[in-house]
Amino acid sequence: MDDYVEVPMASSQRKKTSFNGDGLVVFLDVKDALEAEKVLQRAGYAVRLVAPPPQLRKGCDLALEVNLTEKPGIERALEQKDIAYVEIVPMKAGTAELLQVVKLTDFGRWVMVKAGNMKLSFDKETGVIVNSSGGGCPDIPYLHAELVDKKLHDVRRPKDIGFTLCAVMMDRALEECLEVWRGGDRS
Amino acid sequence: MMLLAGTVPLKDLPLTMGTVGLEDGFLLVDGLPIPCTQGTGAMVGAALAATGYLKLDPPQALVAGDTGQGGGSRAIYEYLIENVARLSPEVLTLHYCLPDMSLTRRVCEAIEKCPRRPVMIADAASMYAAKAAGLARAFDIFTPDATEIAFLADAEATHPAYIARHLFDTDIAQTPVLVDIAYESRSAAKVLLAKGSIDYVVVDGSIVATVTEPDVPALEAIGGTGDTITGLVSAFVYCGLELHEAAIIAARTNRTAGQLAQATPATKVREVVKYFPEVFKEHLCQWSGVCSIDPEG
Repeated sequence: MDDYVEVPMASSQRKKTSFNGDGLVVFLDVKDALEAEKVLQRAGYAVRLVAPPPQLRKGCDLALEVNLTEKPGIERALEQKDIAYVEIVPMKAGTAELLQVVKLTDFGRWVMVKAGNMKLSFDKETGVIVNSSGGGCPDIPYLHAELVDKKLHDVRRPKDIGFTLCAVMMDRALEECLEVWRGGDRS
Repeated sequence: MMLLAGTVPLKDLPLTMGTVGLEDGFLLVDGLPIPCTQGTGAMVGAALAATGYLKLDPPQALVAGDTGQGGGSRAIYEYLIENVARLSPEVLTLHYCLPDMSLTRRVCEAIEKCPRRPVMIADAASMYAAKAAGLARAFDIFTPDATEIAFLADAEATHPAYIARHLFDTDIAQTPVLVDIAYESRSAAKVLLAKGSIDYVVVDGSIVATVTEPDVPALEAIGGTGDTITGLVSAFVYCGLELHEAAIIAARTNRTAGQLAQATPATKVREVVKYFPEVFKEHLCQWSGVCSIDPEG
């Protein structure tokens, strides 16, 4: 029961390079924000998922930080793909960055990756996801059923089939699991 | 009545309210099967195991299918807003729902109209919404894990995805510091059961107990083992234990069942739940003083 190791912070945490924009695309639903991120990234725009300022929050919210100077092109790209958004506004104080840090716990045969409130564990020998835990949004039990007992490479991405911030964090955990699996970092 | 409310990952399950049962290993709500997996199902399954052992009325559950788009969640919120005063449960536990601060506020307003205020318990996104809406003090028990304690301590965060990095990095041994901050900012319920390698039971900001044994680290990786704690706490409160006692015994029960199940990160939560009756039989009388319940009162 005791043979587990939380990998030291220095090697277990990676922080992605961040982009700082001056505009914000506001959405009604997390799902729309996730689709917009994909569309705009494919179109070559620098974007970053962030929390909208407090006065625009309902409880499970996501906005996209963008370069305001690119507003016309961004509007056009979103409209062409029929992605609903509320407005594109200048960035104000009060936006918050999504948690980027991940932590790894080595259980010997299994690794648990923790991204924010979401944890994903896989078998180091087979690459099979054996469990997901944490979170509290309604798509998490659904994603648990979709991911568990399948290979890391075979599952659909949580951010493609989920709808909430918990799904975004589970996607981060999956991304890290894939990186560990590909890298053979099985210490 | 103990009323457990939350969504389940079944797209087509309509809003359903009824008695929880078990048939051929399947959980039923008003005769409809729900999965005993991570989420509301695990919570309901654990509560049913406890009420069954204690010979209490089985839980009533309010469930709706929702895979993240929020329709089932809104149906649950609206049902509670309309009906909670009439139902007037003794214990009300809110669980997996799309967090919505406005609807949570309306649920809390509706609860004020109950003839007798229920014991209010929240976990999962219902806890997120209660904290984000500034309603934590309207709740009696929250059951956060280590990350969620950091969320409660972060006054700005409306979801754990946005907690400040320095709080996320905090070691479990620093949980008492986060607990203090959460209470100072009125972001914690009256009682907290902060789950982790050390479980902290906190009453109005004071740590009254810690639970560390048996040590089963793999439980953190198993989806649903936090949910079972919420179900156990609900049932123990319903059977009349003090809130902090219910929290302590729930934590011990979960750990001991995990040990009996020889839990690994690959263990499924239903394999832990099935050991609850054995744990109750061996330990509950000694832990709680509750050795049998006379259903006639």
